[in-house]
Amino acid sequence: MKIPLSWLREFTDVQLTAEQLADALTLRGLEVRGVERWGANWNKMVVGELLEVAPHPKADRLQLTKVRIGDGPILNIVCGARNIAAGQRIPVALVGAEMPDGRRIERAEKMGIASEGMLCSGQELDATDDGDGILILDSSAPLGTPLVDYLGEDVIDVDVKPNRGDLLSILGLAREVGAITGAPVAYAARPLKEGADAVGAGLALRVADEALAPHVVLRVVDGVKVAASPDRVQMRLKAAGLRSISNVVDATNYIMLELGKPTHAFDRAKVGETVQIRLAKKGESLETLDHEVRSLDATDLVVADERAALALAGVMGGASSEVSTSTSSVIIESAIFAPTSVRRSAQRHSLRSEASHRFERGQERRLATLGADQVAALLTEWAGGVARAGRLVAGAEEVPVTTLNFRPSRVRALLGVALSDDEQVALLSSIGISADPAAVATKIAVTPKRSVSAEKGSARAVRVPSWRSDLEIEADLAEEVARLYGYERIPTSVPSADLPQHRPSPTLLRDRVRRLLADAGLHEVVTHALVSAAQAELWSEPASIVTGPLAASEGSAGGASIVLQNPLSADHDRLRQSLLPSLLDRVDANLRYGATSGAIFEVGRGYGSTKGAPSEWTRLAVAVWGDREQGAPSVGATAWNLDELKRLVAQVAHLVGERPAYGSSVESAVLHPGINAVITGDRIAGLLGELHPASPIWRDEPRILLAEVAIAGLRAGRVETAQISLPPATPPVTRDVALLIPAAATVGQVVAVARSAVSRATNVELFDLFAGTPLAPGERSAGLRFTFQPSATGADDEAIAAELTALEGAVLRACGARIRGVEGQ
Amino acid sequence: MDLAALEKQLRTLQADAATRISAAASTAELDELGSSLLGKRGAITEILRGIGALPADDRPKIGVVANEVRAAIDASVTARRVALSAGELLERIERERVDATTPGPAPRIGSLHPIPETIAAIAEIMASFGFVVSEGQEIEDDVTNFQLLNIPEDHPSRDLWDTLYLQEPGRLLRTHTSPGQIRTMQAGGPPIRVILPGRCFRYEAVDASHGFEFHQVEGLLVDRGATLADLKGILDELAKGLFGSAARTRFRPGYYPFTEPSVAVDVSWPGSKDGWMTILGAGMVHPVVLENGGIDPETHQGFAFGLGVERIAMLRHGIPDLRAFLENDLRFLAGFR
Repeated sequence: MKIPLSWLREFTDVQLTAEQLADALTLRGLEVRGVERWGANWNKMVVGELLEVAPHPKADRLQLTKVRIGDGPILNIVCGARNIAAGQRIPVALVGAEMPDGRRIERAEKMGIASEGMLCSGQELDATDDGDGILILDSSAPLGTPLVDYLGEDVIDVDVKPNRGDLLSILGLAREVGAITGAPVAYAARPLKEGADAVGAGLALRVADEALAPHVVLRVVDGVKVAASPDRVQMRLKAAGLRSISNVVDATNYIMLELGKPTHAFDRAKVGETVQIRLAKKGESLETLDHEVRSLDATDLVVADERAALALAGVMGGASSEVSTSTSSVIIESAIFAPTSVRRSAQRHSLRSEASHRFERGQERRLATLGADQVAALLTEWAGGVARAGRLVAGAEEVPVTTLNFRPSRVRALLGVALSDDEQVALLSSIGISADPAAVATKIAVTPKRSVSAEKGSARAVRVPSWRSDLEIEADLAEEVARLYGYERIPTSVPSADLPQHRPSPTLLRDRVRRLLADAGLHEVVTHALVSAAQAELWSEPASIVTGPLAASEGSAGGASIVLQNPLSADHDRLRQSLLPSLLDRVDANLRYGATSGAIFEVGRGYGSTKGAPSEWTRLAVAVWGDREQGAPSVGATAWNLDELKRLVAQVAHLVGERPAYGSSVESAVLHPGINAVITGDRIAGLLGELHPASPIWRDEPRILLAEVAIAGLRAGRVETAQISLPPATPPVTRDVALLIPAAATVGQVVAVARSAVSRATNVELFDLFAGTPLAPGERSAGLRFTFQPSATGADDEAIAAELTALEGAVLRACGARIRGVEGQ
Repeated sequence: MDLAALEKQLRTLQADAATRISAAASTAELDELGSSLLGKRGAITEILRGIGALPADDRPKIGVVANEVRAAIDASVTARRVALSAGELLERIERERVDATTPGPAPRIGSLHPIPETIAAIAEIMASFGFVVSEGQEIEDDVTNFQLLNIPEDHPSRDLWDTLYLQEPGRLLRTHTSPGQIRTMQAGGPPIRVILPGRCFRYEAVDASHGFEFHQVEGLLVDRGATLADLKGILDELAKGLFGSAARTRFRPGYYPFTEPSVAVDVSWPGSKDGWMTILGAGMVHPVVLENGGIDPETHQGFAFGLGVERIAMLRHGIPDLRAFLENDLRFLAGFR
């Protein structure tokens, strides 16, 4: 809401500068978007006086003028406008001036005669819509004064919050300003002289649904000459951000800004005998003023006559009854419409207007009558109209005064400030919330639906002004007290009341994982949760990967992709299931930025829907490419490879006391079918591998490796305290076992079998893997080192030997592997 | 062999040893020489084998001489070792000398993203006031995201949030972390002190200060006596924690449907460029919201606040464009140490 200060001053005295006022409003809760000087772009433009106007000797359309601009030399200016005469004061753009449209004023020869500037029309100044004639100023305009100082206007732009519809008006803002300055606020309604003809002659009003239109007022103004509004009106509307249309439409807009009351003017000649306010009929349509033909819904409230819908009530008028230059008589409709109905219609038709904006936020009931009268008064003043006697009215004007009770003690308890009962009442009265000594305050509205009884004498009653329908409960008054007292004066303290029970942070483990990875040289990223359909298809984790307690704590992946109903773009129209596509997208971006090596990770969520029930799960995703670390003269660079990625996974797994195992590859659109593995474990599970060579961002060099895992506690942060037994004095012993693995088996299988068969081993490590002569093609020899911690007595050799014997049978059964030899002490 | 002959042998050995010791070229040679003279099978031991032939009276006499000789040789060996090892050390140093002024390999530089790190910074400050972290769901329903927060259907206050809806009717992506207030209150009664960080979504065109995905941190305190003055005290501490102890806060009325009174908080600190910067919205929890959370507004009250993590991170790090956070350019990320 843009407020030209001159308009504000019509209702209250303002001594503050625009900036001071803006600061004061800000501290009282009115957010100021900005302060501007309307007309500030009129540089090198001044008020001048026409001394002479003479015909141009060579051009009929031009005139020669002599212009005085104060004490300086008289300027010779050639002008094409016809509405000028000696003695008039006019805006002069001096040589060097830049017009609002960017044109520069130069010294010029016009048909052989020098011109030292330009006389300006309202349109050239971007002040009015009149481009035909020069803007004629008042004869009292001070000569030589910069135009901005004379015609310019300070404008404060206030962001009005949805609960304060009353502030969508100059008058409403004047009331707030008055509360700040202490100056009185008064609205002097324009007197309306009515003609002899009665409004009811040939016109009736019928409201079909009083709930949707509780109060409707019509006035008729005859003898209207539709033309441009007076210049000062056009300029004021422009400063307030509205375009001037015609004197009739401008009159309705002027009152809308002044009082916050939207009204609508119909061409009387285009309306039948009965104005009806009713719901639209099935199949009915309406061409609105923006020339869109709209099919109406049976819940759209319309203003109609006996034949057809004329306007979408509270939203926009119709083309068929639009006021035009041939209009001579207008019907002014000024109504109170149900806010919800207007909002739904405006939303349904994607048609937000200044009017609907105000109707949605509620209208003060007394404004229907006042608005109709004031528009009619302006039409008699600006368009030479004669108002018919009386109004057509449906519904009631009167709304009982609202009394609201509050407990000053509760206000003190809520705000934490020692304001006496009387001080609170005095603060409220400064914005017209006056004490109601006659009322006995007992019922306190705690919420709009719940009241409690106040102890006798502990509550005060106040009358809420008709424009403050937002004040409904005790807490609303507490806010007004705080606001008027000034938030800056409320003391600061620290709450001393009960503390809740301690709960460990859900980010404990996550933060450890993040630090570990950052210390290992990876960069944490935060990527989009919303992805494209193509990205979503890249990978979704099968429910079989993360199962059991891990799925319960970290969330179980799967289900259908969740798609938005109103996406901003197809690139982000659904929620990701896997983090990998978003991560890959960032790898791609960084490769384009020249990062030939990199390592990134994200801890984030995947989303899916099973039978309509949405679920969210938490995963760690990693993408690495190129060199793991840079080299130096004595040490070569090391590239990321599957083993280095596994080392990283193992380090993360160690945080939850797990050594991950690897199972055979899975079908995946994102991972290389021949270079990937499933990570299995009770406390960590997922997959890793190289990027699929079919991916558009795959390249031979550098290879991109990916991993996505669930880790127990990543989401909810349980970090278990490790239980430690003191090591015995005996040193650990090792046994190295060479195994012959047939082509059909994997090392992962063999290791898994070895781990479970040799349960006494504290560690099982693959230290060698060999293929080639003398082995058969496809066969491999794997060296596994088992570490055992003997007990204090050291008498474990037999038990170890027994387990290694059992291993022989187990690997043979499970995957046809054979033991080639055992070494160790 | 008589006493005099033995003594002469020892003295000769001593003189000869002195010459050889001073001629030793390395500590290794000296060590060998030392043990050949003084060792178990050394020259002195050899000479003293003849002691058995002496009369008993002379034996102690020759012992005294032998000890003298032994001590003298030992002293010259030690002296010679000191001289030799100093030279050898110097030689070793020269031999092993390298140019140690090479720059060394590049460090492994990793980083933590400013969004989670800013959340962590907020959580750490608030933890000192007893606030614990809790994380909610991002897929919400209309009831919890709006209606229970005193934002009814068809109310103009809904215009404050442009919402991304799911195809599933009634479901949406949370537009703010505030539904966590309801879920927290419903999950357990007062006293409540909780921080609710997380990702939020809005139907919003992307520019330097807006995105359709962003992060918020919600705070909620409910007990019997929390006041607007307490809200000011806590949020002033939070601002000082985030922007330095010289930061100043300005509290002014704001508007949120779920708080009454509502507060907007501006901060200004020595490094801030543009005077007062709005960093968060707050207020006393609206009685309707308390009731919807199952708490009686006649016995309990509290305050809530919400701040935009991207905005805080931008202000703290001097980042001019919020799009950098989701761009994840490694050159940008490497700056966060």
